[in-house]
Amino acid sequence: MSAWLPALLAGRMIRLGWLLPLAAAGLFALISLAPIDPVQAYVGGRTSQIGPEQRDAIAAAWGLDRPAAERFASWLGQLARGDLGQSITFNAPVMQVIAARLPASMALVGLAFALSFVLGTLLGLAAGATRGRWPDRVIRTIAVVLAASPGFWVAILLVAVFAVGLGWLPACCATPPGQLASEVTPADSLRHMVLPVATLSVVGIAPLVLHTRQSLIAFLDSPAARHLSAHGASPLRLAFGPGLRHAAGVALTLHLASAGELFGGSVLAETVFAWPGLGQATVRAATGADAPLLMGIGLATLLFVFAGNLLADIAARLADPRLRRVA
Amino acid sequence: MLRPLSTAVVALSLLLPAQSEARSLVLAIGGEPDGGFDPVMGWGHYGNPLFQSTLLRYDAELNLVGDLATDWSLSDDGLVWRLSLREDAMFSDGTPLTAEDVAFTYTAASEAGGLADLTVLSEARALDNATVELQLSEPRITFVSRLATLGIVPAASYDEGYARQPVGSGPFQMVEWREGEQLVVEPNPHWHGGEIAFERVSFVFGSEEAGQALARTGAADLVGVPPSMADAAPPGMKVLHVETVDNRGLAFPMRPRAGETTEAGTPIGNDVTADRAIRVAINQALDRGALVALALNGHGRPAFGPADGLPWDNPEAAIPGNDPAAAMATLEAAGWTDSDGDGIREKEGLKAAFQVLYPASDSTRQALALGASEQLREIGIDAQPTGSSWDEIGALMHSQVVVLGWGAHDPSEIYYLHHGDYAGVDYYNTGHYAKPAVDAHLDAAEAATGFDESLAEWQAAAWDGETGFGPKGDATWAWMVNLEHAYWVSSCLDVGPLQIHPHGHGFPITHDLPSWRWTCE
Repeated sequence: MSAWLPALLAGRMIRLGWLLPLAAAGLFALISLAPIDPVQAYVGGRTSQIGPEQRDAIAAAWGLDRPAAERFASWLGQLARGDLGQSITFNAPVMQVIAARLPASMALVGLAFALSFVLGTLLGLAAGATRGRWPDRVIRTIAVVLAASPGFWVAILLVAVFAVGLGWLPACCATPPGQLASEVTPADSLRHMVLPVATLSVVGIAPLVLHTRQSLIAFLDSPAARHLSAHGASPLRLAFGPGLRHAAGVALTLHLASAGELFGGSVLAETVFAWPGLGQATVRAATGADAPLLMGIGLATLLFVFAGNLLADIAARLADPRLRRVA
Repeated sequence: MLRPLSTAVVALSLLLPAQSEARSLVLAIGGEPDGGFDPVMGWGHYGNPLFQSTLLRYDAELNLVGDLATDWSLSDDGLVWRLSLREDAMFSDGTPLTAEDVAFTYTAASEAGGLADLTVLSEARALDNATVELQLSEPRITFVSRLATLGIVPAASYDEGYARQPVGSGPFQMVEWREGEQLVVEPNPHWHGGEIAFERVSFVFGSEEAGQALARTGAADLVGVPPSMADAAPPGMKVLHVETVDNRGLAFPMRPRAGETTEAGTPIGNDVTADRAIRVAINQALDRGALVALALNGHGRPAFGPADGLPWDNPEAAIPGNDPAAAMATLEAAGWTDSDGDGIREKEGLKAAFQVLYPASDSTRQALALGASEQLREIGIDAQPTGSSWDEIGALMHSQVVVLGWGAHDPSEIYYLHHGDYAGVDYYNTGHYAKPAVDAHLDAAEAATGFDESLAEWQAAAWDGETGFGPKGDATWAWMVNLEHAYWVSSCLDVGPLQIHPHGHGFPITHDLPSWRWTCE
């Protein structure tokens, strides 16, 4: 009955088997070719206090005096032992940096993921059920405007209105300034999450609304729906009843598959809101040409997106038995 | 009489949550050290190291005064520093600081491959509990900058995790560091420097915009702001403009184009700027006051040398500027005339034209390049502003004029920028300037047997009455402006006298943080 699942998993594991090394090699090549000198980026404004001899010493401490191929080989060797290496920027093991910052990012991404799924699907269903009438037009307009708005711009707008203008919500950070972690109340934490989560949700809502609406319309036009409506089911009841099941599969697939975008969006949101997560660390690592950390984050993101896609495929098969045969 | 009054004060303070507990400070000035607070890796170079104390320190006038060291001397050959330590210094964990800790710190930093350049140190040894000797491999007076910036770590407990759990003998101890977010510190009860007026100091990290938003909502007491925002301080805060040597200038290629290339294959030399008359005329012509108004909204001061106002600066080397007539006379006398009437001078068929490169991402440097170009056109020099990436600048900076910026509390910068040994090395002496007389002064300065003795030599390298790297001599640069660093400061916060700040906005403001006072209540 559920023989499709092991087959799917096995196929994906094989794919991961060649995707990971390929991605690692590609990432390393990109970082090596980037026009950033990591030593210069590290020294930054202190150029006048760090003489050429010390620069050589820094490069040697990082192994940058060795050829790129050799560095990649030794990085692979470390990876095989489960060691992601040492971050240059943070002067700490890459695993430790990722582990320290992942929870903050996951809280943000997870909440935004759930919120945009619920909101996006519900709005999409509502729009489909009222096709052509004013609620549909309003929802569609909002979705198109959101789809066309860059995330960082939405973030700045939200800060300007709700933080600086109205003073309802904090403008930045994960906690109130001047307080220890132990002094921060859960209510404070939630208040600080509102704007970043809202920003990040916007990224995912618009496509979800439009796709859900479309698949609901397809269902409503189908013989099955016409049969039900001939028996007196109202469009709204159709939409949130059987229509939900038809649309939810598509919505879930789409949403899980776009988890990577959410991850990318968190880089922007974390930068604007000074959120101490992985997105912020990614920006630091990139501007500092911190190869080990970038590779670590790159691989972590790859696994994240890969898992998202895999879950999407599984969810699609659970929602729609017809797909299970092809697997 | 007193009792009801104090009750009233208590009752009032309960109504105002910010004042209900002892005074705490919130600063949003950036400067988070991603790698942690380990001096061995280079923490503490700017501003106050917070957790550690240093052997010496600079006062507000940049004079060297003792911190951990009570007495210090340099041997006559300039190779051995001997320092006596104060006996009452203690780490924040209550253990005493001894010469062993100093020797350990210096040795570790010289081997670490971090951001503390101690390549000249050959040995650090503790003679007894309170005396330490630092042996150099060659005389180098700028080593005093290390004495004033390298914080001492405890030999007994220093380990891999130190950067994130620092223990030192400085004014503060760490309470909590949430990376990427906030650092919270409180006074170190064992500190030898006196009382600190604040129960807790928090450094909020994140974007500049986030800091400004905190200031507007009243949540921060001191915030670093860009010059364009400086005049728009929110209610309850005042604007603080700090003078700096965060300077910007035009770096000239000094050699004629003779087909030479760098190791990377990029060209060296420029026939126009190799002529001293051109470089001097540019220095004479530039109206630096106008550039400050144009590029910095007036928040800055004209720059005439690489270290305006610092002890090793030589004001004698400067040319006042804003004198196009004198500039044109200089050009005429050197044979640069406009014979074809196109407004640009020529000499023997060579047009007085060159590119002025600036990083396209830096609007201040762009404004400076455009402004300087306008001013130079008036004296018949075609300086073409060219925005490019740092990559391209790296390739062209040995053959074209570049807008570069420096400014450090360390005269070794003067050495790197002008010594022939550093010709073409990194961004230092991009013009490949090499003059034996100037090199001799620079070498003499490094070989001096005392910091005060070295000052005359640094100044002589800029202008010794006959030559020098300054505008009156070889005019290796045309310095244009020194930026001003702007902060919004709570009207109740008194930050006392301030140093002239180095390149780098933000953390330098904390240099005298332990002596800040709250003036309200």
